[in-house]
Amino acid sequence: MSTDNGTQPQPELPQDKAEEKSKDPSLSAIAENNNDSSVPDPRLEVQSGVVRDGEYVILAFGDGRKFFAQCQTRARGKSTPVKIHKRSYHTWQLVGLKYGKVLELGQSGLVPLPDGEEVIPSNPYIAENAVATVAATAATDDSKGGADVAVAEDNEMEDTTFPPIQQDNDNRHLLMGDKSQAMDQDDLRQLREEGAHGSEIVEALIENSSSFKNKTEFSKAKYILRKQKKYQPRCRMVRCTAYTICEALYIKDSRKLMNMREDTLGQILSYSNVSAGCQALVFENCMGIVTGAVAERMGGYGRILSVYTGQQPAFVEMLSRFNLTFAQSHSIKWLHSGDVFMEDNTEAPPPPADAIDTELEEREQLKWPCPLQEHTRQYMQTMAKDKQKKDFLAKRCNRFARKLTRHTTLEVNQMLAERKCDSVIIVTRTDPTATLLGLLPYLAPSGPFVVYCEFIEPLTECFLEMQRRSLAINLRLSDTWMREYQVLPGRTHPNMNISQSGGFILTGIKLCPVTGKNELDEELMKEIRSEIGGRRGRKPKKKENPSNEKDSNMPKKKRRR
Amino acid sequence: MDFSRPHIYHESVASRSNIRYIALPDNDKKKKDDQSLDDRVIASANQAAQDLLLGPGLADVDPRLIDATRFQESMTPSSDTIQPGSLVVIFESFDNLNFVYAKSKEIFNNRNGHFHHDDFIGKPFGCKIRSRNNRGYGYCFLLKPTPELWSRSVNHRTQIVHELDASMICFYLQLRPNMVVCETGTGSGAMSHAIMRTISPAGKLHTFEFNHQRATQARQEFAENGLSHLVEVYHKDVCGKAPVIENYKPGEKEDTKDNKKEEDTPPPQQSSSSSSSPQQVQGGFGLLGQSVDAIFLDLPEPWLAVPHAAFCLKPDGRLASYSPCVEQTQRTVTAMRKAGFHSLKTFEFRLRENYVHEYDMDPPPRAKRPKVDPNPHDRSRMNNNNDKATTDDITVAMVGDEDTGAEADNEESQVSEAEISLTAGPDEVEDAIEAAKATPISTAATAKKEKTSPTTAVNASSKQRKMVVARPFTNMRGHTAFLTFATAGLLPQPDPNNNKNPTK
Repeated sequence: MSTDNGTQPQPELPQDKAEEKSKDPSLSAIAENNNDSSVPDPRLEVQSGVVRDGEYVILAFGDGRKFFAQCQTRARGKSTPVKIHKRSYHTWQLVGLKYGKVLELGQSGLVPLPDGEEVIPSNPYIAENAVATVAATAATDDSKGGADVAVAEDNEMEDTTFPPIQQDNDNRHLLMGDKSQAMDQDDLRQLREEGAHGSEIVEALIENSSSFKNKTEFSKAKYILRKQKKYQPRCRMVRCTAYTICEALYIKDSRKLMNMREDTLGQILSYSNVSAGCQALVFENCMGIVTGAVAERMGGYGRILSVYTGQQPAFVEMLSRFNLTFAQSHSIKWLHSGDVFMEDNTEAPPPPADAIDTELEEREQLKWPCPLQEHTRQYMQTMAKDKQKKDFLAKRCNRFARKLTRHTTLEVNQMLAERKCDSVIIVTRTDPTATLLGLLPYLAPSGPFVVYCEFIEPLTECFLEMQRRSLAINLRLSDTWMREYQVLPGRTHPNMNISQSGGFILTGIKLCPVTGKNELDEELMKEIRSEIGGRRGRKPKKKENPSNEKDSNMPKKKRRR
Repeated sequence: MDFSRPHIYHESVASRSNIRYIALPDNDKKKKDDQSLDDRVIASANQAAQDLLLGPGLADVDPRLIDATRFQESMTPSSDTIQPGSLVVIFESFDNLNFVYAKSKEIFNNRNGHFHHDDFIGKPFGCKIRSRNNRGYGYCFLLKPTPELWSRSVNHRTQIVHELDASMICFYLQLRPNMVVCETGTGSGAMSHAIMRTISPAGKLHTFEFNHQRATQARQEFAENGLSHLVEVYHKDVCGKAPVIENYKPGEKEDTKDNKKEEDTPPPQQSSSSSSSPQQVQGGFGLLGQSVDAIFLDLPEPWLAVPHAAFCLKPDGRLASYSPCVEQTQRTVTAMRKAGFHSLKTFEFRLRENYVHEYDMDPPPRAKRPKVDPNPHDRSRMNNNNDKATTDDITVAMVGDEDTGAEADNEESQVSEAEISLTAGPDEVEDAIEAAKATPISTAATAKKEKTSPTTAVNASSKQRKMVVARPFTNMRGHTAFLTFATAGLLPQPDPNNNKNPTK
C-alpha cells in the first residue's frame, strides 16, 4: 500500500473515489472481517512442497506417458500400487518427497534420485549438448513430454542461432539391418537377471554396437536416448493441478473429456471470470474435471454449485485427484439437475415453498463427538481384537464427520435462490441451447457464461438464439489453434504432430432481462424525444405516426421506408 | 472489480457442525488397553476431525487448528446495481469498449451520443442505456468490469497481452488464490488484472516496469480499481541493463535513460548479501530466494531476467516468457535450461473466432432455360409464352420470401423475359431459332414438359432449407507471441547479483 502514496504526486481522485480508496480492502481487513480473529484462515496456506499422505501425483515419463498414482503410507493400509511396464510399484515411499522429484524404476521399486537429476540421464559417451538437443527433440516430437535436460555451458550467451556441434560423421556408410548389435535377447536377459543397473545395460549395448562410432553426434544421442527409455526409465513426480490432470487425461483418452484440450479448460476458467469468493454454477458431464478446476481456482472461497444428474454425484474419483483441501471441497455444493431445470422461463422460478428439511433435522440431531449408542456399545464388546475396535471407531467417526459437514438438498437450493450466480459454466453433451436457457435465469445480469461443446453446430444455434432474444451480449464462438514448438538453437520448428481442435467455446455476457432489452425505456424515450427536436439533430420529419410509436423507435424501420 | 472487494464471512455447514478437537481426560497416557470405550471414541473422533479438516497423514498438529469454525463461508458481496464511483464498462459494439467511473453530473460522450452518469446510477449492470440527445437513438450497454473487458477497454499504452494469451498464462502457470507472483513488465496492466483475479483475495503480485510513466499510471489505475492490496508496482529494470535502445520491439518499449536514478520504490526485501558498487545497475526482483510461486516475463530480452527468476522461484515453481520473435525464444530457452529449469514447452495460441448467421439455402434451380421465341410477332405463340411465364412466377413466389412474392407480377416477368433475350448471345438465339425450325414437334414436346414441370419445381422449392451456419472470420490475428513455460528445478539457484560482484 505504501506505493500508492509513493514519491509521485498523488493523482486527484474524485471525492467518492477517494472514499472508496480509504475503504480499500487489505489483507488485514480480510482477516478482520472474520468474526473471530483468533482463528486463522486455513485457506491462506496455498500448497505444500512435499507429497502428503493420500495425495495423488502424476508420474510423467521422459517419453510422454503419464500415470496417476495415489501416494499412501503403509500405515493407512490400502495403498493402491501403480502399474507401469506390466509391473506394480508401491507408492508408499513417495509420501514426504518433494514435488518435482525424479524417480527411477529400479528392481526395488520407485527409487527417488537426488535433487538436480533429470528425467533423461546424462551419458558420458556423447557431448552433453547433443544429448540436450536431441532429448528435447525426442520429447517434443512426441508432443507430450517435456524436455528434461541439463545443458552444458553455452559460451556466455553468444548467438545460438547455429548448432554448436560440428558434424564429423554422416550416415553415408549406414547399413540397414540387425547385424550391428552383437548382443542378443539372451545376453540382455542374463544381464538383467544379474541385477545390472539400467545404465550398465545401456553401456553394454553401446560397446557391442559396431555402428555406434560411425553415427553422427545427434544419432548417437538419439540411440542412447532410445536405449535409456527402455532400460533406465525415469519419471518425474508432477503436482496434480487442473492443467496437469487435464493434459494427462487428454493424452490418455480425450473422448472421456469430450475432447476438451487443456487450453480450452484454461479459457473456460478465465472467460467465466471465476475468482475467489464468487458463486459459480457449473453443469458438466466431464467426470468432474471442470468442477475440480473451478474449486482449485476459487481456493475454498465462495461457492461452486455443481449440477449432477442421476442418483448421486459421480465425480468423487476425479475430484480426489485434485488433492483439494477441506475448504475447497466444502465450497463445492451439489445440486440435482431436476431442481435446477424448470419450465423454460426467462426469469428465475420462485423460491421453493417452506418444505420441512428432513435431512437437516437428521443432521442437527448428530452430535460431536458422536457418543456411542447402547446397542453399538454392546456390539463393540463382542469384538475380540483391539485393532478391530479401533478400525470400527475410525470408520464410524469419519462417517459422522462427513455427515455433519454435508449440505442438504434444500440448503443448496436455497443458496441458488438467494443469490444470483456470478458465472455459469456448461460442459455437457446435452443440447446447449436448452441447457443455457435453463440456467440463464440463475445468472446475475452482466454475468459471463461459457458453454463448451466439442462440435460447432449446436453452439451456432445457441449463439443465434441468444442474439435473437437479446439475452446476451459480447457473444463469441471460438476455438483455439494451439501449436507447440521444438525450440533448439538453429533447429526451431513447429512440432510435426499437433492437435487440430480442442473443442468450441461460446462465451457471452448476460443482459439484464428487464432493462437490457430494447423497448423498456419507452416512457423515458418519449420524454426525451419531446424535449429535443429531430433525430440526430435534424428537423423532425413531417410523417410521425404517434400511434405507431413502438415501431418508429426502431432505426431499422426507418431504413426500410 | 468484484474479485477485489472485501469478503463477507458467514456461517457454513462446516462451521456450524461443532467438529473440533476434544481434549482427552488426564488418563490419556494410560496404556491403550486401559482406555475406556468413551475415551477411545473421543480419540478416534479427534483423528477423524484432523483427517477431514487438515488432510490425512499429518503428525503433531496444533489441536487448535482442528476446529471447523475456521471454515466459515467467505464470499465477495454481490453488486448488482451501479453505485456512484463504481467502475462501469461501456459496451458500444464488439470492438469498441470504454470504461468510466460513474459519477453524478458527469457525461460520457461517444459517437452514439451523450450518456449521463445520473442515468446509470441505480440501474443494474447489464442494462441498455439510451443517449439523452439524438432522441434516444444512440444506445450502449453497461457491463460489470472483468479483466477481459478491462483489457479491451483500456487505453493501450503498449502492446498488450491479449485475453487468450492471458488466460493461457494464468492456467499454465497454475496460479491459484493467495500465491505470490512476479510480472515484468507491467505495460498497460491488462495482464496484471488477470493475474490478480486469480491470486485474490490474499495473494501478492509484484509487477516491475522500467518506464517511469507507465509504472506511475499503472499504480494509479490499480488504486482506482481497488486492487492496491493485491499488487506492488516497482519502477525497475529487472534485467539490470545500462540504458540501451531496444531493437526487438520497436515502438513498444521506450528507451529508459535514467532508470537507475529514478528508482522510486525500493524493493521491500533486499537480499541481505547483495553488495554492489554504486555505479552498477542491479537487476533482479529484489525478493528473497525461493519466495515466489510463479513469474511471468514480458521483456525485450527475457534471457537476462531468467537467472534472477531462477533465484527467486520456489522449487517446482513455474516460469512463463512471452516473446514475439523466434530468436528471443531460442535464447530464453537456452538460458532457462542453464538455470536448472525443466519441462520446457513453447506454444503459440491463436483464437479462431466464428461468424454465425442464418443461411437460406435455395434448391438448385431446376427450371429449364426459357425458350426464345423464334418469331416474336406471331400472336398465337406469344400467348403460349405468357402462360409459361406465369407458371415460372408461381415458382418464384414459392421460393422467395413474402416481399419478393408480393412484388412479382406479370409486368416484371415480361421484363425478365426481355432481359433473357438481351443477355443471350446472338449465336444462341440463332441456334434456338434453327432448332425450333428443324423440329417443331420436339418443341411442342418440350412445351408440354414445361407445363408439367412447375409442379415438380414447386415440390423442390418446398425443400428450401434454413440453416444456422458458422464460418471463421476472414481475418484473424496471425501472431501474438511465443509462450514458453518451464518449471524450476529443486536445487536452489545462486543469486546472479552476488556472482557478478565477488568484491565482497
